[in-house]
Amino acid sequence: MQNQVAKEKERQMTRRGFLKMMGGIGLAGITATIAGCSTDPAGGKGWMPQQYQVASSFPVQVKGRVPIDPANPSITRDDKKCVLCGQCVEVCQRVQTVYGYYELPIKNDITCVNCGQCTLWCPTAAITERDDIDKVVKALADKNMHVVVQTAPATRVALGEEFGMAPGTFVEGKQVAALKKLGFDAVFDTNFSADLTIFEEGTELIKRISGQIHEPLPQFTSCCPGWVKFCEYFYPDLLPHMSTCKSPQQMLGALIKTYYAKEKGISPDKIFSVSIMPCTAKKFEAARPEMNSVDKHAKKTELRDVDVILTTRELARLIKSKGIDLNSLQDEKYDSLMGESTSAGLIFGVTGGVMEAAIRSSYFLITKQEPPEALLNLTPIRGLKGCKEAAVDIPGVGTVKVAVVHGLSNARPVLEAVRKKEAPWHFIEFMGCPGGCIGGGGQPRTSLPPSDQVRQARIDSIYNADAHIYAKRKSYENKEVLALYQKFLENPNSHLAHELLHTHYTDRSKLLTVKKDA
Amino acid sequence: MSKGVLVDLTKCVGCGSCTVACKLYNDTKWDEKQPTVGPNVKLSDKNWTVVKFHEVKDKEGRPVWRFVKQQCFHCKEPACASACFAKAFQKTKEGPVIYYPHLCVGCRYCMVACPFNVPKYEWEKPFPLVTKCMMCSNKVAKGEAPACVSVCPAGVFKYGDREELLKEAKAIIAKDPKYVKHIFGEQEVGGTEWIYISDIPFEQLGFKTNVTKRPLPSYTAAYMHATPYVGIAWGVVLTGLYHYTKRRNQIAKENNKNIKA
Repeated sequence: MQNQVAKEKERQMTRRGFLKMMGGIGLAGITATIAGCSTDPAGGKGWMPQQYQVASSFPVQVKGRVPIDPANPSITRDDKKCVLCGQCVEVCQRVQTVYGYYELPIKNDITCVNCGQCTLWCPTAAITERDDIDKVVKALADKNMHVVVQTAPATRVALGEEFGMAPGTFVEGKQVAALKKLGFDAVFDTNFSADLTIFEEGTELIKRISGQIHEPLPQFTSCCPGWVKFCEYFYPDLLPHMSTCKSPQQMLGALIKTYYAKEKGISPDKIFSVSIMPCTAKKFEAARPEMNSVDKHAKKTELRDVDVILTTRELARLIKSKGIDLNSLQDEKYDSLMGESTSAGLIFGVTGGVMEAAIRSSYFLITKQEPPEALLNLTPIRGLKGCKEAAVDIPGVGTVKVAVVHGLSNARPVLEAVRKKEAPWHFIEFMGCPGGCIGGGGQPRTSLPPSDQVRQARIDSIYNADAHIYAKRKSYENKEVLALYQKFLENPNSHLAHELLHTHYTDRSKLLTVKKDA
Repeated sequence: MSKGVLVDLTKCVGCGSCTVACKLYNDTKWDEKQPTVGPNVKLSDKNWTVVKFHEVKDKEGRPVWRFVKQQCFHCKEPACASACFAKAFQKTKEGPVIYYPHLCVGCRYCMVACPFNVPKYEWEKPFPLVTKCMMCSNKVAKGEAPACVSVCPAGVFKYGDREELLKEAKAIIAKDPKYVKHIFGEQEVGGTEWIYISDIPFEQLGFKTNVTKRPLPSYTAAYMHATPYVGIAWGVVLTGLYHYTKRRNQIAKENNKNIKA
């Protein structure tokens, strides 16, 4: 019996024995870890984007990506999200004809027209707009700043998509309500300055046609900063064709810190001007050095006409971050002075809209008669066809031939024709993004890649508002624009109008070597 | 015939696709503090390749932007492999100089030996290893191009037999006057598998052009070959001395005993 107890004791592990054993296992483990039990060389075993669990075979369809300058004011990229799918190259090269249309080696510039279409095509949202929300939040919090905001025609048919509404839902009133709730001191409509653009650009066109100013025909529209930069890069010889008018956004920016400041009695340096745009190129446009006419006018330095541009997507994020539900807001109206608009201004947001608005008003300005019904629904220049044409008979002038182009790949053949002096048109509308601003690079990423279905829904919504929601359909009926001329600018293309509403362009062809037979 | 890559620096647009492909293939981690493209990039244990931005002047004195992809050059006679006594670095017959973590003892002689400062140490890890570009040796062994090479949208790289690429590079720089008459990697340290052509002199683009043309291992090969013989001979000498002193002590002890007795 005692013998058995002793044996049992022997079998039981002593504390010392246990520690020895554990120490031994530990040492063996560390040795194995250091030595490494695998005999593989270091390095990859296969394609391994972050969401993959195991390495897979190397995909053949990876195509790389477009270069983006870290200093690009419009777009930025998060390398961690990039999977090299090549969609940005696809849209930049095939839809916008920018990437691949210059010779290598590059010079001292990363060629980019800032259109932001790549932000719509990027499936992982690695490429996005440069986020400027913080600047706006800071200005809104600053009690000394009078923060003014304007909204582009196209954001009101897309913003709702960020809040679960169907593509093209018309949220004009809700957008104004949200902006007021965010604390903006005044909410103006870029439609107003679109109406104003019609006066300025229409007058310029009539002067060109009648020979009062010696600039060539056809006249090109200048509302789209992506298109303007494209022309500056690839067709600088055609810049005299470009209307000298600033874009509606920059016009309103210049007026907010002059006309509005004067009417309200606020010093322009106490005004912070924000624009809600469907566009990433507007961020570049607002930063162009010459967009400081307020500065010159007020004799104050370092004043920008527009301080910050927010894209539709950024506005949606800002609204969400403040816990505002767009769906539940009651419609509100734009502030007066520069809040009235006609649907001619509204249709600037779709391809063909600038042209249609211009024709409606030119007819009246030349003939002093109301335009016929057919000119109010100019279907040949509506829709998603890449290049559209129309001929309009205006008594006293004759037949005015116009063309409408959207998507920069469609611009090239038209520009080549103008270059060869084979262009029959008097006036050509160019929009950088397919579908016009409603398909802009700052719009919600409702379908990926952007689809014509969504574009068409937004276009339909704009034309529906044109036909059924807006009371006035012709820019010359805009009372606030007429008051602006009466009180401040005197008349279209006046000296002051030139100072504030017109601009000049930069030949950028020295920044790249344009491919000859691209 | 070993495989190599011809890099035409005039074609680089600086998109950084190659650096992303490297991360995706080798599963190396992103580091916020160490970007992979830009003016201040450096190779690191996480960044096996980087694209460095240079603002330089072209032949007419105009400012131009150039981007230089950096990674291991994969020397034909690698100094790292020659310095490694554990055979953790090995040159494969396909061209890549590869690293076997299980053989590495962590001495970091390779880092001292490399003329281009390529191997990097995982300083942050408790059990660090040496890292560097492996030229995607698993892909190269299958006859595929390295990951970075296969994703370039601008056509900067050409992958193939190194000698063929060298001929092609010579033809390009002979035909096109914009190129400098130098192929970096043709002769540097005895030749590298990655060879570069450029329109801007290489020294302005951060290349180490003052390196020898002689393969670095050849400097030491002659006497390092004697290492085993020296070792054996030294052992024989010491053994002899041991036996000599042992015998002498024994005799001395015996003599002492004799004297005492």
